[in-house]
Amino acid sequence: MKEQERIEKKSGISKSRKKEAMWGLLFVAPTMLGLFVLNFYPMVNTVYQSFCKTGDFGRGNIFVGLANYDAVIHDPTTWQALWNTVKYALIEVPFGVTISMILAVFLQQKIIGKSFFRTIFFLPMVCAPAAVAMVWKWLYNQQFGLLNHLFHSNTAWISNPNIAWISVGVIGVWSIIGYNMVLFIGGLQEIPKDYYEAAQLDGASGIKQFFHVTVPLLSPTTFFIVQTRIIGALTVFDLMFMVMDKTNLALYKTQSIVYLFYTQAFTNGNRGYGAATVTILVVFIMIITFILQKLEKRFVHYN
Amino acid sequence: MRKKLFAGIMAAAMMLSLVGCGSSGSSSSDSASSDTIKINIWDNNQKDGIQKICDKWTETSGVKVSVEVVDWDNYWTLLEAGASGGDMPDVFWMHSNTAQMYMENDILLDLTDYIEEDDSIQEDNYYEGVWNLYNSNGKQYALPKDHDTIALLYNKAIFDEYGVEYPTDDWTWKDMYEAAKKITEASNGDVYGVAMNTSNNQDGWYNLIYSYGGEVITDDHKGTTIGSDESKEGMEMMRQLLTVGAPQSVVAETGTDSLFQSGKAAMITQGSWMINTFYTAENYDDYAWAVLPYADRNGNGTCDSDERWSAYNGLGWAANKNVSNPDECYSLIAYLCGEEGQKMQAELGVTMGGMKGVSDTFSSAFDGMDVSAFNKIEEEGNLFFRPYTRNTTVWEDALQQQGAFLDAWQDPSDPNVMSKACDNAQKIIEDAIAAE
Repeated sequence: MKEQERIEKKSGISKSRKKEAMWGLLFVAPTMLGLFVLNFYPMVNTVYQSFCKTGDFGRGNIFVGLANYDAVIHDPTTWQALWNTVKYALIEVPFGVTISMILAVFLQQKIIGKSFFRTIFFLPMVCAPAAVAMVWKWLYNQQFGLLNHLFHSNTAWISNPNIAWISVGVIGVWSIIGYNMVLFIGGLQEIPKDYYEAAQLDGASGIKQFFHVTVPLLSPTTFFIVQTRIIGALTVFDLMFMVMDKTNLALYKTQSIVYLFYTQAFTNGNRGYGAATVTILVVFIMIITFILQKLEKRFVHYN
Repeated sequence: MRKKLFAGIMAAAMMLSLVGCGSSGSSSSDSASSDTIKINIWDNNQKDGIQKICDKWTETSGVKVSVEVVDWDNYWTLLEAGASGGDMPDVFWMHSNTAQMYMENDILLDLTDYIEEDDSIQEDNYYEGVWNLYNSNGKQYALPKDHDTIALLYNKAIFDEYGVEYPTDDWTWKDMYEAAKKITEASNGDVYGVAMNTSNNQDGWYNLIYSYGGEVITDDHKGTTIGSDESKEGMEMMRQLLTVGAPQSVVAETGTDSLFQSGKAAMITQGSWMINTFYTAENYDDYAWAVLPYADRNGNGTCDSDERWSAYNGLGWAANKNVSNPDECYSLIAYLCGEEGQKMQAELGVTMGGMKGVSDTFSSAFDGMDVSAFNKIEEEGNLFFRPYTRNTTVWEDALQQQGAFLDAWQDPSDPNVMSKACDNAQKIIEDAIAAE
């Protein structure tokens, strides 16, 4: 018996484990296949194309080294778009997270119609982004929009370059609150009741409980949401694309970098240039994620 | 027991759905290859008319035609994706923006030999600019579907309300400016005297540049005079029109057509392909067309031969090179662009013809609305073909950016803004052509 075990240890894997691994691989194969075909291959290909002067209709790519990157880096449009994207993230992430956290705490309490409110706040998440954008676009419309009608103003909410980025950010916050809220409710339910009872016994008020019990113990959830939302906001496209028409005067000061990539790669048919733009975004996101991972150790409390 | 039964039902349902998929899949692919020609177009206004002409063709050929509309922006994205190795429609429209690229890359069915053998298609019968547009290296890749011109559309009710005289066929751009100013001021900005769509150059500011003597793209498609004094003068007139018209933020969000139809704008410039939209509108009897204004460059008070210009453009019917039934596709194209199809197209009021001499019936298709302004500019004024180069969208987009005309669109009140923009535009176009 001992001999047998020794042999198994030497070869590393026993027969039965080998069989198990094979079945395991078989079961993940469809997912892996999908990942390779739909994610990894396009990813590698994009990076490759970013080094090429791409031909029309995806034919005749010529390797040009770093020429695309050189052009993209010296194009002020790139940096404007990156800055626009960061500005969008600066609205969507902090507001989207704080508002939904507060809502989650309220909707965790025993109030009448709790599930009704939860549903209402989650609804935007169920709507198609295109439909959401269309409705908001009409609310914002300068000539006929409801907002200007209510405030008796004549503001170009989405065409004035100075405020368009805020208007778009507001839509982003509005549509993400429900999703964040559900995640927060999940996180809240994992906090043991004992902490609150102890805090109450010590005479802590509701607000004190929130800041000294809820916020620290919720920090793993908060961190997860912040991290995924930062990445989500930096890659925002559908909302921008639907709200900001190509004819929009504020487009230059509002378009996200993925929107710019879409214009370059698909509208103007310059794949290589677009690929370089989007690769720069990937590097940017990697840097941000790296910083966030460093910060995690300082701000997140795992109990 | 119950679980097993449930699983059994589920399995059976899955099998059924699989079988269903299989059968419907095969039948649809069968019909697509032999019985139906798939057409893609981008103008919903024309769909019914085109379908009618195609149905007529189906009567003799026995091949069904299905017409599908995809909006302008997505049309090109989809077509390019299709050309790069996806699903492409069989027969579709070509446009001056992209024709060159499609022709050079061998995406389109070469029609040259077909045309040579076909007596019903004679080059001389078609508008030269449109015919040549779809010719590359001596090969013909599309046949002219139509041509279009631009005219001035105005709302009589608004002119009556503010006591301003209707536009006439002898108007200069200055007259148009004065009238627009009167209306905007009299209504305290409630109604805009004019709404200029700066993002649609063909029905808007291009015409000003040409009537003042400039050129957006020179005849050889290799240069531009957009930075010349003549062009600057034209764009200066455009700037003045913008100062008394609807702000571009409003125009970009709502569109000139909607502004006009909701009675918020008294005048717009529009192309002949849009007539139907206004003809079928609710207040259509308030609407009237006038010939596009001219620029009295020499100041003699009358319109001289080169002072009135309208852009014209023409779509082409092209086919996918890899269709399984090229003969049938050509036959359909030849019918659509042949005399019978072209006459029908004009009669139905779809568009004016790509063939010369078939467009007289076009005006009469709109009973109760005088659209002769579109024909008149052709007879009495000049037409310039819509400026294009090999990759038109690149510089067209760049012209709408900051540093080019965007500054003027945003704030037309600065009198120096146009001259600067024109200088930059000159450089943008030259650079773009150099990069092609």
